[in-house]
Formats: sequence, C-alpha cells, structure tokens
Amino acid sequence: MVGAALAVAAVAAAAAMIAGAVLPARSRVVWVGVCTALCATAGGAAATAVLTGSSTFQANFPNLFPLGGVRIEFDALSAIFSLATAIVAVPAAIYGIGYSAHGPSSRTVQIAWPLLVWSVMMVPAAGSVTGLIAFWELMALSSLVLVLAEHHHNVEARSAAQWYAAMTHLSLLAIVLALVVLAHQAGGDSFTAVRAGAGDLSPATASVVFLLSLVGFGAKAGVVPLHVWLPRAHPEAPSHVSAMMSGAMVALGVYGLVRVGWDLLGGGPTWWGAVVLAIGLASAMFGILHALLSSDLKRLLAYSTTENMGLVFIGVGAAGMFAPSGNRSLASVALAASMLLVINHAAFKGLLFLGAGSILSATGTRDLDRLGGLARRMPVTAATFAIGSLAIAALPPLNGFVSEWLLLQSLVHSLPSNAAVVAVAMPVAVAVVALTGGLAAATFVKAFGTTFLAMPRSVEAGQAHESPRTMQVGLVALSGVCVALALAPTALTSPLRRVSAAVGGLADGAPIRTNGVYLQLSGIQAGLSPLLLATGLAVLMIAVLAVVRRGRLHRTVRDIPAWGCGRTVQTARMEYTATSFAEPLQRVFDDVLHPEIDIDVDHHVESRHYVQAIRYRMKIRDGFEHRLYLPLLAVARRWGDGARRIQNGSIHRYLAYSLITLITVLVVSR
Amino acid sequence: MSTTRFVQLLDLAAGLVLVTSFAALWLRRLVTVTWVIALQGVALAAVALVIGAYEHETELVLIALMVGVLRGVVLPGLILRAVRAGDEHREVESLINVPAALLAASGLTLVAYATTRDVVALSSTPQVRALPLGIAVMLIGMLLIVTRRKAVLQIMGVLMLDNGIALVMFLGTSGVPLAVELGIASDVLLAMFILQVLTTRIRTKFGGTDLDQLRELRD
Repeated sequence: MVGAALAVAAVAAAAAMIAGAVLPARSRVVWVGVCTALCATAGGAAATAVLTGSSTFQANFPNLFPLGGVRIEFDALSAIFSLATAIVAVPAAIYGIGYSAHGPSSRTVQIAWPLLVWSVMMVPAAGSVTGLIAFWELMALSSLVLVLAEHHHNVEARSAAQWYAAMTHLSLLAIVLALVVLAHQAGGDSFTAVRAGAGDLSPATASVVFLLSLVGFGAKAGVVPLHVWLPRAHPEAPSHVSAMMSGAMVALGVYGLVRVGWDLLGGGPTWWGAVVLAIGLASAMFGILHALLSSDLKRLLAYSTTENMGLVFIGVGAAGMFAPSGNRSLASVALAASMLLVINHAAFKGLLFLGAGSILSATGTRDLDRLGGLARRMPVTAATFAIGSLAIAALPPLNGFVSEWLLLQSLVHSLPSNAAVVAVAMPVAVAVVALTGGLAAATFVKAFGTTFLAMPRSVEAGQAHESPRTMQVGLVALSGVCVALALAPTALTSPLRRVSAAVGGLADGAPIRTNGVYLQLSGIQAGLSPLLLATGLAVLMIAVLAVVRRGRLHRTVRDIPAWGCGRTVQTARMEYTATSFAEPLQRVFDDVLHPEIDIDVDHHVESRHYVQAIRYRMKIRDGFEHRLYLPLLAVARRWGDGARRIQNGSIHRYLAYSLITLITVLVVSR
Repeated sequence: MSTTRFVQLLDLAAGLVLVTSFAALWLRRLVTVTWVIALQGVALAAVALVIGAYEHETELVLIALMVGVLRGVVLPGLILRAVRAGDEHREVESLINVPAALLAASGLTLVAYATTRDVVALSSTPQVRALPLGIAVMLIGMLLIVTRRKAVLQIMGVLMLDNGIALVMFLGTSGVPLAVELGIASDVLLAMFILQVLTTRIRTKFGGTDLDQLRELRD
C-alpha cells in the first residue's frame, strides 16, 4: 500500500514534468497543477498509512546510482515530514493553477515545480546516505530555479538566488561531509548499517558529525546565524513556491538534524541539546523582531519562518537535553511539540503565503504601507488570512496554540531538575517563548490590520479584485486544515507516539494520551481539550455578540461629533501604517536592532516656519549580515581580485606559468 | 671510430645545440635567428649521426639524415617564408633585454644540470653525461616562447623545445625506432603548418602578431 502510493507519487510527478515540458502554455499550467496535486496526495496517503499502521516501508534500487544505489526507508519520522509536505503541497498545487495563469507559466518553472514537490516529499523517505544527498540536491536545485522564476522583471530575485545558491551549497557541503564521515566509520551506506555502526564511533567523531550536520541542516532550516538567504529567497519566489519552501522545505532541516543527531548517531551528551536550544532561542527572538518591523508582507512571513523554526529547534533541543538526564517521557513531549509545530507550521505558513500571493497578484505590491481596505474587496482571502494569522499568533482555539502549549508544558515541567544547565536554560527558554508569542501576535495584528482593514492606501489597493476560483480553493482548503488540526489534534496522538518510537536516541513511549476529546501528557500533570476550549470560546463569542447587538437595538440616542475638531474627513493618510504601528515596539528594541532613521523636512519656499512635507524612512539592517557576512564577503572579494591579477589575459604570463611549473616539477620531483 | 674521437665529436655536436640556443636569444635579426635554428637542427642531426656511426646502427644514421633534412632545411625554410611574408619589423622584440635573457638561460642550464644529476649518476656513458644539455635546450626554448613578442618567434621557440626533446631522446635511449621518430617529425611538421597558418590569419585580421596586443581580445 505504502509502496504503491509512493510509486503513484513518482509517476504523477514525472507526468507533471512531461506536461510542463510539452503542453502549450494554457493547458500546461492546469495539467501540471493537477498532476502535482495528485503526486502530493499520493505522498500524503503513503505517510498517513505509515503513521496509522505500525508498519514501515523499505525498498532498494541498487542500480539507480553507481556504487551505493538508492534505498527507500519510510518510517514514522519520515512520514510526519512527508505529511507536512502533502498538507501544504496539495493546496499550493491547486492554487498554482490560478496563480501561474497570469504569472510564472514558463516551461522551466512548470517543470521545476513538480520536481520540487516530489523531491521535498522524498527527502525524508531516503534510507541511505546516497539517496538523501541525491534528493536533497534535487530539492535545492529545483527550488533555486523557482526562486529565479521572475528574474525578468525583478532584479531582487537575482541577488536573492545568488545568496540562496551559495548558502544552500555550503550547507550541502557540510551535510555531505557529516554523512560521508558517518558512512565511512560505520562501514555502510544504508541507514540501517550506519545506525548499527554508529555505536562504535568515538565521542569526538560523533560530536564532529553532529556539529557538521547542525551547520548543514540548520542553514536549510534558516536558523540564526545561517538565515540570511531565507528573507531574501522566500519573498522572491512565486507565492505557491514560497508556501512550499517556507511550509515544508525548511522543516527538512529539522528532519535532517533529528535523523542524524538522534536517530543515526543515537543521541549524545547534554550539550548537543543545549546548542540546538540556544540556536532556537536566538532564531525565535531574532526572527519575530525582524518580522514585527518588516513592512514587506512576504519578507515578514519569511522572518516569521525563522521564528517558527527557532521554536521547533527549542523543542528538539529541550528533548536533547532531557534525554541524557534520563527524563525520557518529558523528552517525548518536547519532541511531540516540535513535530506538531512542524505540521501546524506547514498548514498556517502555507496558508499565509498563499494569501500573500493573492494580495500580490491583486494589487501588484507586497508593501504593507501601500495596502489597506482589502477585506471588502477580497473577502475569501481576508477570512482565510485571518484564520492563518490567528493560528500563527498561537491564539486559542486555533492549531498554533496546541503546539505552543505543548512546548511550554515540556519546558515548564523540566524545572525541578538536577542538571544545572537544564535548570538555567529552561526558565530563559520559557521567557523567550512567551515573549515570542506576544510579539507574534503584534506582528500579525499589524499584517492583517494594515492589509485588510481601514481605507486603501494606494490606488492599486483600491481597485483590487478577489482572486480566481482555483486560488480560493487552495486558501479555503488550507484554512480547513488549520481548523481541523485545531479541533482534533487528538487524532495525531498515535502518529506522534510512532514518531517517538522511531527516534531511538531521544524519546520513548507515548508523549500524549487521549480519550478522544482530552489530551493528557505523559509524566506531567497537564491536560487540554482543544475541542471543549473551542466550543467554550465560540459560546462566549456568540454571547458577547448577542449582548452587543442587544445594546445597540435598545439605544435610541446616537453620538455624533459636534464640530469634529477639524476632523471632518477621514483619509488614508490619517491611518496607522505598518511602520507607524510597529514604531513603539521598535523604540523598545532600539538597542538591539539599531534601525537607521531618516527624517526629511521640506519647508515652504516663502517661510521656513511652514512645513510642506515630512518624509520618514526607517531601515533595519540584519545585524548578522552586516557584522558577519559582509566582512566575510569582503575578504572573499579581495582574494578574488588577487586571483584576477594572476589571470590577466596576457599570453606571455600564461606561458611563463607553464615554464615555472615545469621547472618546479623538475626541481621537486628530482 | 675510436672512443676518444667519439666523445669529442659527440660533445662538440651536443654543445653546438646548446650554443645555438643561446645564440638564438642573443641575435636581433629575425632572419639570422632562423639561420641559427637551422644550424641547431643540423647539429642535432650530427649528434644522431655520431651515435649511429659509433654504434654501427644504420637505422640511426637514416634517422639522422631525416632529422637533418627536416629540422635543418624544411622547417627553418617554412619559418623563413613566414618571416619574409610579414612586412612588420624584422627585428626581435623582447619583453626582457638580451643580457637578462642570457642570464636567465644560464640559470636554466644550471637548473637542467642540477635536476638531472641523479640520472647522470646512473650510467657513465658519454651520451648520458651530455643529457642535461637536452633539458637545458628545452627550457631555453620555453624561455624564448615566454619572452618574445612576435608570434613567429613563438614558432621558433616551439621548434627549439622540440629539438631539446629530440636531443634528450637520442642521448638517453641511444636511438628510437624509426617509426617513432617519423611520427614525432610529422607531428612537428603539422604543428609548424598550423602555427604558420594561424600567424598569417592573425596578421591579416589584426595587422600584426604582437601577442601583447592580442590581450585586448579577452572577455
């Protein structure tokens, strides 16, 4: 069953690529979308079968590559990530039909898109070092092509693609090094052999492999300080690709880390977890602060991806700290929180990127300061974006809340701990997660409010129309997934138990028990019933609405401003913009962010006492980029200039090189 | 032929090959340099002839005659045609001046002697003792290629480089099969033809064969 589903997925992906290559533009988009959706559905079905049954799937293709061949091993840990991929890929593929019809419908893009979906789906399914690297590289290359999709009229896309290509290949280098060392020491290419041989590794070698894989997979997950490509590349890709990259692809960084660190290596000392936790904390804070102050909608979402991956890393790191000290059941809860967050993040970040795509195609801008008032013109987009915003802000009753609650529970309940590092780290972690949650709420109030409410701030926003039907289907489907995950996370308890069982070095047993309505954590006196919570909230809301409505009906006197104090007309220029909304919080974090602020004041020609216009510009530089990457790039450039002096086009010089080489060889090899 | 006479003749011929390569660096007129190269080819043929006569190998004597015709007459003749065809200055233009070039050539000769010490120590035959000369001629040929501006002098440098290689071959192996020598000779002939055609094309296209001006063509 699992094998058949995976085969269907492969065939569908191939069909989509062929359709993208041969069909004419109009039907091409439709067939590529349909086949890609089919591919993702089949992958999702395979993942569901593994997660609900207890079996795993294995297959060998020894002749597919020289030397190693490709091995497929589909266990529960693979399945949870493939499921996350399917959750975002199916709606994104359907959405892509409508989105691409007026945008990126070129052959290259339409071939790369199904390839990206399929390779993201298959990376977790790889069961050997060769297979993992092959699918990983396929994924990196196809996403790179898609980032470049709109390079004709978008200069930013080119530099974004350069950053992305450099970072993704440096990360591949680290991953290959880690895996090759691992496979060499273990004496086998397949994960089974590696797992068996990893026990003989010296602790130093194991730590080197772990740190290399942390660098490689961390760069893909977009965590600090390897995030620089993410806020560049994700906004420049077509929106359904952004959804796929942000919702599913970055999560594979987490997959790789867990797979190598705690499955293949079988776990390690406490400091492994502590390093991951520290990176997670830094990413969460950094990501959400930049998201809060960003006025580019897609850039905001991309920074929020860094934040969410930070939260996932916090969960994984906490689990990695609990496991060596023997607190396995707590580690299971922390891991379950991370995995649930991965699933939820796929749903709501996918939804938000698709929503951003609708806004972009309707208004032609992603600048929040030029949007506004879209709720009336784009009701479906507005409603679904609202659901996504509520979910990502981790507000009950939506799905983000459940995973964040789980994460906080696991962090809080570690506290009577005998390990000093745990006792120090966990209160900090709780504080950061709480602060992050608050800032995320502010961020998405800003994003939703300035986009959909109030009056339009530009002509384009005033003339926006709702997007085509296929795009609406994608949006509605993903918000449906968000709501379903919010009401029935109980359905995921047994899958999460299987994931825990699959990660041998980290967790054991059932992290969560359920009786259908109520979630009960193992080893912790804590429980939650999302369904009851949602029902309660719904009842409360209806009651409040009813009271308000009643109050309005019975009121006979209406308040009207007497003279209006000069404020007789409300225009868009009087509204809060995204920048001004975030300004108070920006002042709070001034010392961390060091924003550059320019204020230009134009005076009236005849008198300097009258001000004609005031322009306010605020720019926030990425501290890591500025202090770490640009100096590195400058050094590289200096080396490059030096190399150019060697290679200056003079034939005499080239001939002299060969003479010098000959003499050197003669002297050295004498 | 007595052994003493053989050693004297061999050293004379091989020494002449080296001296002509110095002379090629020293002289300034293109036509004279071509004559020097021809003389070098003849000297090379003489080396082979002396070895062939001493060891009574008719095949090597045959090869020596062929080398003499090819490297002493045919190839220099081709180069001379190229020199006469060019209406550019018939003077050698070099990147470094003559004393510097001669000093560099002496250095290269020292390098050749230093690097072949182990090979020479292997055997005490007069041929092997003269082997460093061949290496030195090779290196000086490359020096000629590197430092000269005109493309025609690069051709001469290639020829000198090949003369050096042939000298090493005669001295080191005391005669190679005729087929191998034939193959090498035809290769050099072919390379000469190609280079000459190329030079002519460069001249008609860009009006000169100064390599430093061809630098503008990159990118």
